[in-house]
Amino acid sequence: MSYTLRGRVETRLAALLPVLLGACVLAGVLHRWWPVELVALMAAVGIFLDVEVWHRLLPYQPAWTSVPLGAVELGVLMAIVYGFGLHAPLLPALALFGAGWLAAVIFAQAGLPLLRLGYAEDGGELGRAGGVAAVALVLAFGGSAATYVVRLPPVVHLSAGVHQGPLVIDRREVLQGDPGAVVRGGIVVAHDDVEIRNVTVVGGENGISVDGVRGTVIDGVTVQGAKLDGIHVRLAGVVIRDCTVDMLGNRLGQGIDISFNMDKGMSMVEGCTVVGGQQGITTHSSATDIMGNTVSRTTGQAIAVDEMSMGMASHNAIRNALGVGLYCGDRSMCMFDHNTVIGMRPDTTSGLRNRRGLAVLADFQSEADLWRNRLVANAVAMDTTTNAILRTSSRPSW
Amino acid sequence: MRVAVVGSGLAGFTAYQTLRRELAPGDIAVFGTDSDPAAAWRVRAAAIRQREMRSESDGHCLPTSFPGLAFSSVRRRRSARPLLDSVLDRYHPTVDEFLSHVERLRERSGWDESLVPRRIERVQAVDGGFDLDGERFPHVLLAPGHPGLNVPEELRGDSRVVHSYEPHDYAATVTVVGAGLAAATEWLNALAAGAEVVSVRRREPVRRPLNVPRHYFSRRGLDGYHRLAPRERVERLRTLIAPSYPPGARWDEPLERAAREGRFRVEQSLNGSAQVICATGFRRGFRHDPLLARLVAEHDLETVDGWLVLDPDSTVPALTDAGRTLAVAGAPAQWAFPAADTLAGARYAAHRFLGRTRSCRTR
Repeated sequence: MSYTLRGRVETRLAALLPVLLGACVLAGVLHRWWPVELVALMAAVGIFLDVEVWHRLLPYQPAWTSVPLGAVELGVLMAIVYGFGLHAPLLPALALFGAGWLAAVIFAQAGLPLLRLGYAEDGGELGRAGGVAAVALVLAFGGSAATYVVRLPPVVHLSAGVHQGPLVIDRREVLQGDPGAVVRGGIVVAHDDVEIRNVTVVGGENGISVDGVRGTVIDGVTVQGAKLDGIHVRLAGVVIRDCTVDMLGNRLGQGIDISFNMDKGMSMVEGCTVVGGQQGITTHSSATDIMGNTVSRTTGQAIAVDEMSMGMASHNAIRNALGVGLYCGDRSMCMFDHNTVIGMRPDTTSGLRNRRGLAVLADFQSEADLWRNRLVANAVAMDTTTNAILRTSSRPSW
Repeated sequence: MRVAVVGSGLAGFTAYQTLRRELAPGDIAVFGTDSDPAAAWRVRAAAIRQREMRSESDGHCLPTSFPGLAFSSVRRRRSARPLLDSVLDRYHPTVDEFLSHVERLRERSGWDESLVPRRIERVQAVDGGFDLDGERFPHVLLAPGHPGLNVPEELRGDSRVVHSYEPHDYAATVTVVGAGLAAATEWLNALAAGAEVVSVRRREPVRRPLNVPRHYFSRRGLDGYHRLAPRERVERLRTLIAPSYPPGARWDEPLERAAREGRFRVEQSLNGSAQVICATGFRRGFRHDPLLARLVAEHDLETVDGWLVLDPDSTVPALTDAGRTLAVAGAPAQWAFPAADTLAGARYAAHRFLGRTRSCRTR
């Protein structure tokens, strides 16, 4: 097939229509926008490559080139998806791309040549149908974008000053703290798709409690003086970014505790600073990535991946803590890479073997892989207990 | 009757299949002298012992390019190989498969019902249409076919000479004149028959899969071609239709082997071979076709260097307007479509002809 530029673009748009329709249905079922975002990105990547690369490179395009061209487009698409942090799950995203690719092949090789008399000799141009396809696609994307904007959660501004809590959020919303906004007594997230930004939380049983909801984002918050945990997550998927949790003076509390959310997909704790508490960041039965955080002055474990969790702790810095720095326990599977653990001190008052100032400890049938960690000036560099496995890899295990 | 096709060969037959998408057999008159659309082609293919088509999956007479012959081959051969070959541009239907396809289409399309067994001698423009030897039609497609075999002037009358498209056997020493697909086929045929072969040609043949570069089968190449000034277009056309045959070991290996054995060589002029095969194709230009020559003369139509000037949609500009259409398909339509003498070319003209009859206000 020798496409004209217009024919190439019109064919692509026509082939994307059923995929977009499927993506809209999927978005409605999942209550997530990534399917529509992904198809929009597929259209953008495809048209860009059509105009800038494929049209110039291929005066004639044999049918077999659908495979390598599709692979290149998939590579570009996934690079953008991950480069720009679009939260599309890998397998469904691949399935959607595969469906789009297959639709394009079937449309170009069979459907359109069958439906349109002069399809091949017109270089893939569809005449009025091409215009209709373009308009339909623009309307579909426009409609989706409009729906997205209309359905955006309301932004609630929390003014500067102290607000008495506990504050219970029981609807979709973005709680945006103005500079100097403080909530005394904690925040309870009781609805899906809540985002909390730039708020300082003082006191409360837990500083911020998230229980049984989805899509919570906690961004740029400061928590201090909580009685139990700084940020307490149960049965919920969360993203926690750039937070500060001060647990000094609370010997038994945990800075960030994410537990029992294995079925909620990946959670993430990134860029936070945690000071004090028994455990800095801990997960139980959870799939959570813990990346780029700083933890210090904890009395139990600085970062603990525990109780059949699967997770990665990467690029974290742990300093001046008691007991254990990086802990992988109770049949968990852990990947510790590029972490820095400095100055772990033994908990001499406990007299326990597993609190000897260990930089890394794998405990009770857990498996931990280590790669490129800096372990400096610790009482003990690493150890295992009760049939746990600790592997130091020359290359990452993922 | 609303529409007439003049010519009952493969170009007329392919056009008929397209017209049948929207017209009943009773609305189409096909004028021709042979009810078998492949009659002339069959003889020529047999003469050069052709076994495979040069065209690929969409070298067929159906109105749409899909499904092609590869699909029917999958069913017939009970193998997915034809489809895989088609994806790789390596599928070539056999001559038998193609002829069966023509026969099936002929039976199911009502071709015989539309056929008027008569040779049209004169096409005359009249008010609102055309007069074809006494019958009037608003829309006419001329598909007169090739205007006869081309034998170089200097070889006419030579008793050793036979045209490749005429039935023949092979002598012990054979000279093949020409450098296209028919010539290449004859080199291999004569070598296989045990002959010593001399190839006489004026230029080295172009090696390409199809008659013209692939992008000239679509608007991608045609738009630029249609924009060329007449003299430039003539030059481009000469380049495009220069003799060619496909690349590949299937052609090269037997020739190289025979050359090593001293049984194949290239020369510039005839020698003393016992047989001279002219693989020199067909006579070219409207003047060699009595119907077209008369049409041009009587209507003072524009021509350039033997080619009838056509609009990009393969219609005769001076005789086509909102109420009537005179279109040309097959070899004489190269001004609009360089590969007009292929099945894809016939389909191109037919699609546009149907488009015009569809939009015509008198229909």
